[in-house]
Amino acid sequence: MNKFRYLFQNLFKSLVSSILAIVFFFLFTPGAWAFCGFYVSKADSKLYNKASQVILARSGDRTVLTMANDFQGDVKDFAMVVPVPTVLEKDQIKVAPPKIVERLDGFSAPRLVEYFDSNPCEENRYEDKVFAPPPAPVAESSARRRGARERDLGVTIEARYNVGEYEILILSAKESNGLETWLNRNGYKIPRGASNLLKPYIRQKMKFFVAKVNLDKFETSGYQNLRPLQMSYTSPRFMLPIRLGMVNATSEQDLLVYILSPKGQTEVTNYRTVKVPSNNNIPLFVKNEFGDFYKSMFQTAYTKEDKKVAFLEYAWDMSNCDPCSAEPLNPEELKEAGVFWLNGEQNPSFPGNPSIAPNNRRRPPRPIPTSDRVFISRLHVRYTRDKFPEDLMFQETSNQELFQGRYILQHPFTGEATCPAAKEYKNSLRKRFEQEAQTLAKLTNWNIQEIRKKMKITGQVSISWWQNVASWIGF
Amino acid sequence: MVFKDARDYQILFLSMFLVLGIVTRDWSLRPLFIVVTILSCLLTQWLLFALTTKSSPFALSSFSFFRSPLITSLGLSLLLRADHWTTMAIAGFVAVGSKFVFRVEDKHFFNPANFGIISALVIAPDAWVSPGQWGEEWWYGLLFAGAGGLILKKVGRWDTTVAFLFSYGGLEAIRNIWLGWTWDVYCHRLMSGSLLLFALFMVTDPRSIPNARVGRIVWAVAIAILTFVLRNYFFLPTAVFWALFTLAPLTMLMDIIWSAPTFKWAGLDMPSLQLQTQNLFHAKAQRQASDVGGSPDLRQLAHKEEVLHEQV
Repeated sequence: MNKFRYLFQNLFKSLVSSILAIVFFFLFTPGAWAFCGFYVSKADSKLYNKASQVILARSGDRTVLTMANDFQGDVKDFAMVVPVPTVLEKDQIKVAPPKIVERLDGFSAPRLVEYFDSNPCEENRYEDKVFAPPPAPVAESSARRRGARERDLGVTIEARYNVGEYEILILSAKESNGLETWLNRNGYKIPRGASNLLKPYIRQKMKFFVAKVNLDKFETSGYQNLRPLQMSYTSPRFMLPIRLGMVNATSEQDLLVYILSPKGQTEVTNYRTVKVPSNNNIPLFVKNEFGDFYKSMFQTAYTKEDKKVAFLEYAWDMSNCDPCSAEPLNPEELKEAGVFWLNGEQNPSFPGNPSIAPNNRRRPPRPIPTSDRVFISRLHVRYTRDKFPEDLMFQETSNQELFQGRYILQHPFTGEATCPAAKEYKNSLRKRFEQEAQTLAKLTNWNIQEIRKKMKITGQVSISWWQNVASWIGF
Repeated sequence: MVFKDARDYQILFLSMFLVLGIVTRDWSLRPLFIVVTILSCLLTQWLLFALTTKSSPFALSSFSFFRSPLITSLGLSLLLRADHWTTMAIAGFVAVGSKFVFRVEDKHFFNPANFGIISALVIAPDAWVSPGQWGEEWWYGLLFAGAGGLILKKVGRWDTTVAFLFSYGGLEAIRNIWLGWTWDVYCHRLMSGSLLLFALFMVTDPRSIPNARVGRIVWAVAIAILTFVLRNYFFLPTAVFWALFTLAPLTMLMDIIWSAPTFKWAGLDMPSLQLQTQNLFHAKAQRQASDVGGSPDLRQLAHKEEVLHEQV
């Protein structure tokens, strides 16, 4: 990271001196990911999973769900249980390339933008841009797993597959105590309180997707980390079960959902969807601590919204970006991310067999309508048990509005300028810096005096009340 | 005249919610769209009334005449979202137009805003409803409840709200117990601003719901059941609007089974709007024939004409 930053700064200086408009970026790799389901543990160590990344590609009632996996512990301890709406067949489950979540994260991450003031003595002022790193999603994870054996406790093993390095069971259960006992007897240590949470899913006739790692296959696969699991299903339910993930969570958890749709923005229907603060001018020093800035800003916005909203960080047509924090995904990558409606592509993994889909009163499978469009919505949900009692429900909308978390650094002109306009320009800078300091303090809740110190603002600059008002309402 | 009619309160409160939403909630609301919706509703009302009653459109200028389409347009602005202004214009036109098309005798049986919303969802590719936009803050709940209560007391249709909320809340409670969710899940499901907005302002529209109390209660319970089914088994986020739309024609049946006088906004006691219209035109003809303007009888007639406009 520091190496990157160092490189970045060197490049940046050369850009300034040559006054060339050049765009570059680098990706900030997230530290760790986890699943949105709940982890079951063999060990007695304290369990928590703080961040998850999920890709949902959906068109009509077909969904491809990809759960990123960056489990950091010993893979033999890994296990996961996720409620799913239907019994999945083998070709509905696969492993996705590990890079794909990283690509989507890079493409949609909030971004820092730089502009350069031109010489105030020259009439035509034009802007140079440099785009700086997207922040890391806050992420930590931990999970465990255990082996499994069959027992008749009202638990039926609907299917058993080996997919890549994973051993997967699809379970259905008649009652939650039976399922809990089954999981415990088969070596999955269920967190206390999980039984109560399994019941609603069992009653809704949902199935349980249980995965653990086949160690032999993992070793021969040559991968360092577990790859993301991807499942395809046909169901009118457009939701993510987050309640199970809270059983073993001790604190706030972060969930990043990348939703891909051929129509437009996707929003949460049972919680408010709120845009993160964006398009703010902030002091230059933030360039070196953009990650910290974003974390503080997100925390401040999260607290301000009473910790119970989903934040929209990015909404864009995936064929382009402005500014780009990463190259748009090519059709092959989109397909890897689960997009199945692109022209000329056929995804075989929707058998659409009504008999295996509970709540599926649907007609025979319709042909998948094709389209060239992929619209991404990046939702960042920081949730806790008390503020998010219900699982997340989504709906796709036709909303074409483009939105991005974007923060602006405006570099003052530092060359020689002696004309009268330059004097005026220099005077205006002090006010501008103060305004930036106040914006930063407001966004992050950082101490204004320390911000001023870091910015090396000398002396107080008075800001008129209307400028204050304007800054408060976001202008 | 202002604030003598319950609908003035309704206009005031709906406008207040709209302003509140724009200021405190970052909806994708655009002022232009609101203006377009209002204009579309008002113009449609003006035009269609003139066409259907064959009276001069320039004679229809009183504020009370525009109350109903104004409420419809505010309801649409609050609930319906679209990408293009044309969709809002069409929704406004269809909403108000439905009052003139789907009517039996003097009563229209679709709630205009609801009809506009469903039509837009079906025919326009770019329309949607954001059920989560209000959040579930308690003070919103109170605000809605208070404001709604005030209006309902004015028009005497609180029973519909109570029947709807109780039956829907009851069904959700049974489901919650059966599923084994904790009660905060239940509260979260019910503490939805959009649901309250619907229960207080849409399902209570006295001009389009059953006339008799028994009818209203049966009707509201039916809507609650359908909403429950659509939401929980068909996973429709817009369940309430579809439920009202589907069951709206039942109003007529309810009115046949349980008859009661049709609701009128400003207390003129007349048997039916059609009859009134006939009387009015008859009176107009008489007035033209005798040409004696200014008599007390004719002033009364002019007043009746205004009231008629309000009722359409």
